[in-house]
Amino acid sequence: MNALAAIGEALVLIGTFFYLLSALGLIRMPDVYNRMQTSTKSATLGSLGVMVGVGIWALGTDFGSAAWLTKTVVIAIFLLLTNPISAHALIRAAYKSGVPLWEGSVVDKYREHLEGKEREEVEAPAASEETPAEEGGEE
Amino acid sequence: MLKRALAIISLLLIGYWIAQGLAGVPFGQDRMLVAQYYLDHVKEQTGAVNAVTAIVVNYRGFDTLGEVTVLFIASTGVGALLWRRKKQRTAKTEGSIVLTTGTRLLVPFVMLFGAYIFIHGHLTPGGGFPGGATIATAFLLLYMAFTAYEIPHKAFEKTEGAVGMAYVLVGLIGLAIGGYFLYDWIWQDWGFGVDNIGRLLSGGFIPIIYTIIGLKVGTELSGIIDNMVKEEVSE
Repeated sequence: MNALAAIGEALVLIGTFFYLLSALGLIRMPDVYNRMQTSTKSATLGSLGVMVGVGIWALGTDFGSAAWLTKTVVIAIFLLLTNPISAHALIRAAYKSGVPLWEGSVVDKYREHLEGKEREEVEAPAASEETPAEEGGEE
Repeated sequence: MLKRALAIISLLLIGYWIAQGLAGVPFGQDRMLVAQYYLDHVKEQTGAVNAVTAIVVNYRGFDTLGEVTVLFIASTGVGALLWRRKKQRTAKTEGSIVLTTGTRLLVPFVMLFGAYIFIHGHLTPGGGFPGGATIATAFLLLYMAFTAYEIPHKAFEKTEGAVGMAYVLVGLIGLAIGGYFLYDWIWQDWGFGVDNIGRLLSGGFIPIIYTIIGLKVGTELSGIIDNMVKEEVSE
């Protein structure tokens, strides 16, 4: 066993440890947003560790070649780019469909922002639009 | 309650019956009859390293033609069922900026990967159907991220029909040259890429047919997506 194989094995171990942490986070955390937070972050990191680790591990063995590392790095980059986007889309969809925050949450700036926007939209048309043909009498 | 219990009991009975049938099958033993022939002869008979695609396209090419036909009928059926005079995308919100930017970034790579899968069907796992499905996934991404996106219908439908005909045409050329439908003329008669087995330019007509199938499946599934996400507008 040489140094490359040892590094790869260590990386795979670290990656699986983060997988375990992300699974624990799914059980432990109180609401959807916290669960997504723990699971996506640590699962992405764990996958990166496992995949790059496998590539390096293969370099150290007698059957492995650089092709393994190339493939695993490509997959790792792809996952690194896509996983946060999917997590973002899931979270946003959860918020928009009204999944409540944990009762211990204190700040919800996004709701304030959305409400502020709604208020603007209610007030703005009367102020900005010059003379809408059918709503002209409201002023 | 009674219904559910009856369902569980009957499912258990069916499962036991199937397990009894499977118990006589010797898994893990070398009992290959036809399969051994395929494994022994796949390289010199088809030029492909991937035995699965060689069987699917070359030895049993007729099945694949049938599958492509099934997909075509499915796509046509969805189109016929959801046919309306005026259809539009009615999605209300555009995807967030993260989603749209990510989609813009990713779509070329997804398409590239799909093309990679179906071009390398004779070398790596995959082939026309997974490659085509990957390409359709890229279009699904575009549909999901943008409210106004639509596939170019004219070009897509024409491509779909043209590649479908091209598959049959390849088979008919084989019929004319070799005497039976889907005869692999590139490998058997030309011997193209004989000393190139395991590299890209080999495998007889498998890469050609898989490119055709990949394009066909990609355009068909995109068409199905297009039909399903659009809604009727009354005007």
